[in-house]
Amino acid sequence: MPWIDFWIILSLTALCTLLSRILPVALFANRELPASVMSSLEYIPVAAFAALVANDLFTPEVLLAGLLPAALPFIALVPVVVVALKTKSMALCIVVGVATFAFLQWAIAVLHIGM
Amino acid sequence: MRRFLERSLKAAFPIIIGYIALGLPCGILSNAAGMSVLQVALLSLILYSGSGQYMIASLWLSGLNPLSIVAAVAMVNLRQLLYASSLLQYLKRSRRLSAIIAAVNVTDESFGVNIARFQQGSWTTHLSFAVNCWSQLAWIVSNIIGALIGSMVNIDTGIAAFAITAIFTCLLLMQKGRGDFVLAATAAAVVVAICNFCDLSNISIIVGAVAGIIVGSISRTRFQGEGNASESGDF
Repeated sequence: MPWIDFWIILSLTALCTLLSRILPVALFANRELPASVMSSLEYIPVAAFAALVANDLFTPEVLLAGLLPAALPFIALVPVVVVALKTKSMALCIVVGVATFAFLQWAIAVLHIGM
Repeated sequence: MRRFLERSLKAAFPIIIGYIALGLPCGILSNAAGMSVLQVALLSLILYSGSGQYMIASLWLSGLNPLSIVAAVAMVNLRQLLYASSLLQYLKRSRRLSAIIAAVNVTDESFGVNIARFQQGSWTTHLSFAVNCWSQLAWIVSNIIGALIGSMVNIDTGIAAFAITAIFTCLLLMQKGRGDFVLAATAAAVVVAICNFCDLSNISIIVGAVAGIIVGSISRTRFQGEGNASESGDF
């Protein structure tokens, strides 16, 4: 990538991202927030994680990919949910999730060749 | 000091696994998009945004102009506003400057890990900053290695990305299972799905999350009574 394009992209994306990261803290670190705002903040983690999971599952490509590839992450998520509820271990969730996902992908490929 | 490093590294461990899995293909893709190893390293150090760096590489490959790429990345990263707002109540126990520094390199994943520890108590601004730094170190190193090995290996991005999906799922399931939280999560997920199918994927996460926060806040009064009964009950 030419350096001029690179610097434009890096400096501006980094600036916007940095502002998003620090502005709320920089502006409100010294202030008391109203109780109504504080109670709404409580929902940020759950809403954000649900949004991030949904964003990974319902990608725009899913519509084009066909039923089986689209269903793959949903199926692979089942053992992840079980492990998460039982152990609360993120590392274990990664291992189980990736292993199931890879196996299913391999199985689908084999089935396709078989047909 | 040793105990401090151990605690933060232990908390950061799942993120480090995820970032190695996702950072290697990110470096490979960036390299394939025509970025040098130095450029990949600078992006990981200064921008430090997984979704941002994937977007830059793939949008540059598709021939989009730099300013449109900037606009797309800026929109996607607006969700960081929510993380900073959420961390605010814990970070403001420290001096203002420490609080700001601890917000500088927050990511989806490190936010999740830190907020879970803050909610449990016994977590500090400094420990959260250490988790952010371990995570960023893993991200930088795996991106550089990815850019160095370039197209020599072929990593399946779908599998690598699912490591991060598993982290988010675990974090989601660690949240309270009270009715208003379930409603907030459902609303967020539905809105994200709708946005993604309507070609609004750039803003789907922040729009979905805000929708979830609104639904949760509105339904709060209905579920507050059962709060004490199922406070520790998860999904």
